[in-house]
Amino acid sequence: MAVLTSSSPSPPSMAQDLLNSLPKTLKLKTKQQELLIRVTTLGLIYILAFITRLFSVLRYESMIHEFDPYFNYRTTLYLTENGFSEFWNWFDSESWYPLGRIIGGTLYPGLMLTAAALYKILHFLRFAVHIREVCVLTAPFFASNTTIVAYFFGKEIWDSGAGIVAAALIAICPGYISRSVAGSYDNEGVAIFALVLTFYLFVKAVNTGSLSWSLASAFGYFYMVSAWGGYVFIINLVPLYVLVLLVTGRYSLRLYVAYNCMYVLGMLLAMQIRFVGFQHVQSGEHMASMGVFFLLQVFFFLDWVRHLLGDAKKFQAFLRITVTAAVSVGAIALGVGMASGYISPWTGRFYSLLDPTYAKDHIPIIASVSEHQPTAWSSFMFDFHILLFLFPAGLYFCFKRLSDATIFIVMYGLTSMYFAGVMVRLILVATPAVCLISAIAVSATVKNLTRVVRAKSQTIQSGSGKGSSASKGSSKGVVDNSQPFQKNGAIVLLLGAFYMLSRYAIHCTWVTSEAYSSPSIVLAARGAHGQRVIFDDYREAYFWLRQNTPPDAKVMSWWDYGYQITAMGNRTVIVDNNTWNNTHIATVGRAMSSYEDEAYDIMRSLDVDYVLVVFGGVTGYSSDDINKFLWMVRIGGGVFPVIKEPDYLVNGEYRVDKGAAPKMLNCLMYKLSYYRFGELTTEYGKPPGFDRARGVEIGNKDIKLEYLEEAFTTQNWIVRIYKVKPPKNRW
Amino acid sequence: MAKLIFVVLLTLIPILCTSFSPEKPSDRRILVLLDDFAVKSSHSLFFKSLQSRGFDLEFKLADDPKIALQRYGQYLYDALVLFCPTIERFGGSIDAAAVLDFVDSGHDLIVGADNNASDLIREIATECGVDFDEDSAAMVVDHSGYAVSSTEGDHTLIASDDFIKSDVILGSKKIEAPVLFQGIGHSLNPSNSLVLKVLSASPTAFSANPKSKLTSPPSLIGSSISLVSVIQARNNARILISGSLSMFSNRFFRSDVQKAGSPTKHDKSGNEQFFTELSKWVLHERGHLKAVNVQHHKVGETNEPSIYRINDDLEYSVEIYEWSGTTWEPYVADDVQIQFYMMSPYVLKTLSNDSKGRYFTSFKVPDVYGVFQFKIEYERLGYTSLSLSKQIPVRPFRHNEYERFIPAAYPYYGAAFSMMAGFFVFSAVHLYNK
Amino acid sequence: MARSSTSTSKDAQDLFRALWSAYSATPTNLKIIDLYVLFAIFTALLQVVYMALVGTFPFNSFLSGVLSCVGTAVLAVCLRIQVNKENKEFKDLAPERAFADFVLCNLVLHLVIMNFLG
Repeated sequence: MAVLTSSSPSPPSMAQDLLNSLPKTLKLKTKQQELLIRVTTLGLIYILAFITRLFSVLRYESMIHEFDPYFNYRTTLYLTENGFSEFWNWFDSESWYPLGRIIGGTLYPGLMLTAAALYKILHFLRFAVHIREVCVLTAPFFASNTTIVAYFFGKEIWDSGAGIVAAALIAICPGYISRSVAGSYDNEGVAIFALVLTFYLFVKAVNTGSLSWSLASAFGYFYMVSAWGGYVFIINLVPLYVLVLLVTGRYSLRLYVAYNCMYVLGMLLAMQIRFVGFQHVQSGEHMASMGVFFLLQVFFFLDWVRHLLGDAKKFQAFLRITVTAAVSVGAIALGVGMASGYISPWTGRFYSLLDPTYAKDHIPIIASVSEHQPTAWSSFMFDFHILLFLFPAGLYFCFKRLSDATIFIVMYGLTSMYFAGVMVRLILVATPAVCLISAIAVSATVKNLTRVVRAKSQTIQSGSGKGSSASKGSSKGVVDNSQPFQKNGAIVLLLGAFYMLSRYAIHCTWVTSEAYSSPSIVLAARGAHGQRVIFDDYREAYFWLRQNTPPDAKVMSWWDYGYQITAMGNRTVIVDNNTWNNTHIATVGRAMSSYEDEAYDIMRSLDVDYVLVVFGGVTGYSSDDINKFLWMVRIGGGVFPVIKEPDYLVNGEYRVDKGAAPKMLNCLMYKLSYYRFGELTTEYGKPPGFDRARGVEIGNKDIKLEYLEEAFTTQNWIVRIYKVKPPKNRW
Repeated sequence: MAKLIFVVLLTLIPILCTSFSPEKPSDRRILVLLDDFAVKSSHSLFFKSLQSRGFDLEFKLADDPKIALQRYGQYLYDALVLFCPTIERFGGSIDAAAVLDFVDSGHDLIVGADNNASDLIREIATECGVDFDEDSAAMVVDHSGYAVSSTEGDHTLIASDDFIKSDVILGSKKIEAPVLFQGIGHSLNPSNSLVLKVLSASPTAFSANPKSKLTSPPSLIGSSISLVSVIQARNNARILISGSLSMFSNRFFRSDVQKAGSPTKHDKSGNEQFFTELSKWVLHERGHLKAVNVQHHKVGETNEPSIYRINDDLEYSVEIYEWSGTTWEPYVADDVQIQFYMMSPYVLKTLSNDSKGRYFTSFKVPDVYGVFQFKIEYERLGYTSLSLSKQIPVRPFRHNEYERFIPAAYPYYGAAFSMMAGFFVFSAVHLYNK
Repeated sequence: MARSSTSTSKDAQDLFRALWSAYSATPTNLKIIDLYVLFAIFTALLQVVYMALVGTFPFNSFLSGVLSCVGTAVLAVCLRIQVNKENKEFKDLAPERAFADFVLCNLVLHLVIMNFLG
């Protein structure tokens, strides 16, 4: 407090001096100011990313959404109750009856272990939270962490300004929010964090050439492998990037160190996950990384020999021999591996990314998932908004200042955008790339504009043009134009940029609130007077099952609801969302599509006690089983040719009214959905039996069930449960 | 004195427990519904044979308004005999549905119809899988298998010896004399898999009205006509349906019989023996099995695990007893099989027994994991069907249940350890190298 | 024909001699690292030959054995790169730091190999 000691001795002015002195001591140096601003901004972004994902918790309650997260929740519950060893060896006899499922060996454990670790830490700190709350809030927490990693990544690629903008963009980008809201307890919530972390660590390793950063990136890759099946993207993008660097003549020893260490250690670590197993050496999807590994060894060896020889001519001869030998050996090895079947070809899920029409013809289960459909332009606009046209601008900036890091982000952006175009679900993978590249554009533009705004007027004339070129033009150099238009134009453009960013923020918040915060297990609608009506039928039905059926009862339903039934209803199911056994699902599909007596035989052979169907005719809910029915027919028909899709259609049209096909009007799914519906009046002015989801009056109103009886129908008829009768006593 | 009375009363308590129960499957109380009480005396031999075996018979008229099968949810009788072929409506609270519920709850039924059988009796029979001839005046006529008789010349009195081949149902002693029959024939519903023909008509029989001329070929002909049928329901209730009430009568029991075309004349018809043995079977005095005390455990252990592992060795045992009418005797057979079943039987073994009713075997759990069932499906003609199934999951190996050190992999272990040693040596050399 | 074959063989001999003389000029510590790398690669080749004879039965053991050799070789080469004074990209890196990184990576490698071995 040097200032205070030199203050004047008169008491009344001491207070004044105090006031004068405070600003001086608080007056920080520019660097410290900048650090403070940066840390505060990042802190605010961190909190923002978390709270923008909490809409559904505030509107409904803290519950798990959708279908897959229920399985993750159930496994996490099992993990916290029984410990890691039991979890790793868990054989679940309650799903896929009677085949059972080795859960320990068929899931990606990263998410569950993360949530269990958070739970244990919180309990250690004496916060007695329930595991469900931890599960619900895991995704927003990791979204916040992703913003921090995005900041560091942006800083690595461009500068800290780009990093902050990237963090801000990714905090609210709808493409990421869609899969990481509170309650969406799914692999992607953690996996995107792992993805960005791995990429950041790898780029850092390539930039520094340090073994420890490569080791860190190998661990990041291990975390990604444990979290999501999309790790295949990393193990293909990184070799592709290395290949591009080699081709563009950017081979360097840093690259060698970074890639080798990451590949070997990452591969070893990844093989510890039981579900992945030996795929890194046996599957066609992972061969690119191995090929590039060997290529890099060849490059290094040649480089070293050239360095030793110092003589170009001799080296040329040596080069020719080695290259031909290496290429031929590699080609022979690859050919033998693929021909003998040892290296398995690309699996259907990933092959359909390269050939989008493959799934529709060959694998109906993959084609039937709504998230696997190709992306429409509206989805891109919806999920990215202004980032969509900032992306090409950012690409331009990257190309202007090419370095190892910017090449990486360009490749990441281009490949992920291609895949996002093929499958809606993969917009999520593209989001970090788009945010980073757009951040580069925004940051560079704003930087230039502010530099123009803050520049002292120079008298030297320059031929540079007006405002429009300032946004796209030179990113370097001092603007040395004295024309005031430049400055005003820059101010206008700056205001325009801020306006756009604010519109972006408004759009993201609106999208989050309206589109991505629905739990989909609780439905909401507006009633006649505008009041909100909540349909909690799903949970009502599952709890009925839990409380009113014997503990070893087996429930047959379409595979969408399997996870929810096992998690909330606690009953054995025949098929569930894991869809690993197509024949079993096809058997259920066949039962649903057959007449009641044939279906009864199938149900008796599977020991089914209850059948659950979802019906939206009373509420107008359009994701019910009758709308999914054609997929049941296709999947069933794919394995049992006795089920033919044209039998259920009339002139290629799918109808449920009087003009429907007779097989459709009498199949089990129709009967179970519309049993007793013909007596119900659903809408004023329409005849009884009017199906509000399809908008028609149903064709077969007088339905009699011979082998099943109705056990339970929920309040709004959304879920209907039927009991399978035992065989007749005297017959 | 009071103490004596008290002791006597105490000893009477066990008698109260002698009603039908799973421990004592023989029926005790039988309700007999008759058209009129004349039947009681004309069929007294049959009823006396029942009573001499310890059954309490209660005779009521079929339209008595006070008859009831159950009160407050409890059944009052263990078996029902309907000797009332002409009844149109039962009295009291009984109707066709009540009779069928009575059967479906595990009780036995004996129905004696006649050629004037009412719709009610026909309906009960149809629900059990037996279709009487639709023509109400039709009777079974056999012009070459009739019983030689001086009084009845229209060949509706038939002597039949076409019995079902089952010692359980008809007793071990062969019935020498044919059985006399006069009444309506019935056929078995082909979609019913539980109904059996105990006494069939000969191939020359047909069902037609004996008093009128035949205008069209009869619908029921030959051996497809069943004269007496039984059904054993899935819950092991037994039903006997006969097309002739007079088969049970004293007249037929005592009568002599000679089948047309056969030289031998028997002094006594086979009716009494036939129905005595058959009623023993229907009322669960014979051919009633129970399987108890299912146990399974791993070889070497005694407690029953809740989950097995693949390639475990396990032992399974069950005890099967047969009711002899008074006690449970061990059931001895060598064809009881156990299946280890998951959508199809992976293991199918015949159980060996120790002649005291305990059946056991041991086998190895197959190399497939899943939810299996120990399934015993034992169905023999005349015996109650045993359908036991116990669900048990089978898990794969845990990660630490594999072989710890595989000899073939020793070189790899060696290589890995040599790498570690090399690393230590190298780092030492590298650090201290100037 | 004879001329070209002799010339190619002479070229090959020249090449070989040039390589050998250049290599002898490398410092001792790098040669020690090279020896270590050769040891690792040789062990890996031995295991591959053994696998070709016996079959891949405990595949995880085979993979862990081979990968421990490959990983050791790779990490040693990375150390050599970082320690070699001729590499301009790494002249700012202290050799102690390079060695510390190397030790850390090897620790992780061997721990994972132990888990994977069987």
